[in-house]
Amino acid sequence: MARFHDLEVTDIHKTIRDAVVVTLKPANGSASEFDFTQGQYLTFRREFEGEELRRSYSICAGKDDGILQVGIKRVDGGAFSTWANEELKIGDTLQAMPPMGGFFTPLDPSAAKHYLGFAGGSGITPVLSILKTTLSREPRSQFTLVYANKGVNTIMFREELEDLKNLYMGRLNIIHILETDAQEIELFTGLVTQEKCAQLFEHWIDIAHVDAAFICGPEPMMLGIAAALRAHGLSDAQIKFELFASAQPGRARRKAVSAEAATGANQTRAAVTLDGATQSFDMPKDLSILDAALQNSMDAPYACKAGVCSTCRCKVLEGEVEMVANHALEDYEVEKGYVLSCQAYPLTDTVVVDYDQ
Amino acid sequence: MAEDMTIESYLAAGGVLTNPVNVPPRYRAELMKLMATFVDSELAGAAGFADIINQGPGIKERIAAAKIVLEKTDNADRVLRIMGEFGANTQRYANHHPWTARLDRSADIGASRSEHDMRLAVFNYPIEGWVDAVMMNLLMSRAVIVQLADFSMISYQPLAEAFRTIAPIETRHGELALEGAVKLVELGQADALQASANYWWPRVAASFGTGSTERTEALRAMGLRRTGNAEMRTRWEAEAGNLLDSLGLKRP
Repeated sequence: MARFHDLEVTDIHKTIRDAVVVTLKPANGSASEFDFTQGQYLTFRREFEGEELRRSYSICAGKDDGILQVGIKRVDGGAFSTWANEELKIGDTLQAMPPMGGFFTPLDPSAAKHYLGFAGGSGITPVLSILKTTLSREPRSQFTLVYANKGVNTIMFREELEDLKNLYMGRLNIIHILETDAQEIELFTGLVTQEKCAQLFEHWIDIAHVDAAFICGPEPMMLGIAAALRAHGLSDAQIKFELFASAQPGRARRKAVSAEAATGANQTRAAVTLDGATQSFDMPKDLSILDAALQNSMDAPYACKAGVCSTCRCKVLEGEVEMVANHALEDYEVEKGYVLSCQAYPLTDTVVVDYDQ
Repeated sequence: MAEDMTIESYLAAGGVLTNPVNVPPRYRAELMKLMATFVDSELAGAAGFADIINQGPGIKERIAAAKIVLEKTDNADRVLRIMGEFGANTQRYANHHPWTARLDRSADIGASRSEHDMRLAVFNYPIEGWVDAVMMNLLMSRAVIVQLADFSMISYQPLAEAFRTIAPIETRHGELALEGAVKLVELGQADALQASANYWWPRVAASFGTGSTERTEALRAMGLRRTGNAEMRTRWEAEAGNLLDSLGLKRP
């Protein structure tokens, strides 16, 4: 399993009012672990008021920039992004897992391809990494970026993109679509929808010669673009997505502490929620939560029944259970109340568990 | 920009998820089940086939069988690595179960799984000799190809990509099985092949499952399923039937 490593913040600067670009240097000789592929992301962890939060942010640096850099946009109510934007400073140490993700296609220096990238807001970060790396490593390839933002002042990396356009004259084409700011060309105002894409494909983008498309943005935008691309003949294998839901929760709540202790009797009153429905039943304390749910005709998820695969994960909302084996959940998940239901036996006289959380 | 779409409605509209970070819990569970079923079936299939390698009548056949064992294990590894990104302990997983274990040839378990792994029921039956192995592989690889066509479009992009890589490999296994079967017919083994076909046909057919329509609908809403069980079984029956026809064998 992936481990966390220390990274030192060597630079941090704002790219727009509420987004920072953080440059990181792996500490303790773990540099090789962070040899990323363009378009990958890092997962960070940090404790907020005694509780661990994990957040993933895409790498925005290109392979040939020689640095490791992520962009972090502040999200309303987001503990990690607010902290990164307001308190993080040069010299601080962050903890992250090695780069992950498959938002890229293999590069070939002899290829002459046409790539199309769509980015919405902070969705630019992985796309920027991809376009920089592609333009530098495939000298005959071209890249068209369609970049959607609310207005001019919310465009992350605006100047850097202008510089890249000059550096790769004729090979990088950028179309800014702004939701609220009017532009000379009316087509470039509004949202990037399926219809808008179809119009772009008429005169502005030679969709018939696109080899691969990358999309990173909010859900409705991804759906619209993907539909337009498919309607214009791209196959699923040619379309690469990266979705970081706008809904990474700000903070996970701890499970409620049960007031009631165990009586020592062998029976437990269990309430199990699955697919929005809750069933209550009595179960012996020497039966696992999973087996009890299955015996009560619930279609609870499981695979290995050996505490290895984590398919049967559920959350304990009330009461206490004991896991006899756990080879899959990490400490921070257990602290939040997650258990492997195939390995979990009730300790208290009532337990409330939920497979939907 | 409208950012108020839930993951559930995004998936129902055909959206794609790309990493474990924002996968909803129930989706995670169904995805893990799907992956475990594939991994366990490939590992059990490879383990069962490994014993057959030495029974191949010639060196070419033994190479084909060894290649199938290698590649099915490799395919299991591809998907197991994705399970690992969700927290599964991949090292332990690969060894937590004796994948060579089989039931009696005459056991009747329908589509049910054994207690401790998720392999498709058909992989619980023992293979008896080379001819039997060739026929089992011929019928089952066709079934795998039909299922992979559906799985290659599922909404978890890393897994869809893995299945798109795996599909042509499994197709090739089917071709090897057909080559082997043609040769066996030439060697006068048609009767033995027919007997094996009669044995494996209903067992492979059962591997498509009888899942309820609500369940299929729930999976469909999550983008984890497109085609229903019955529809896939019908497609397999047609395709596998054609294969038997081409060998001059009867459809059981």
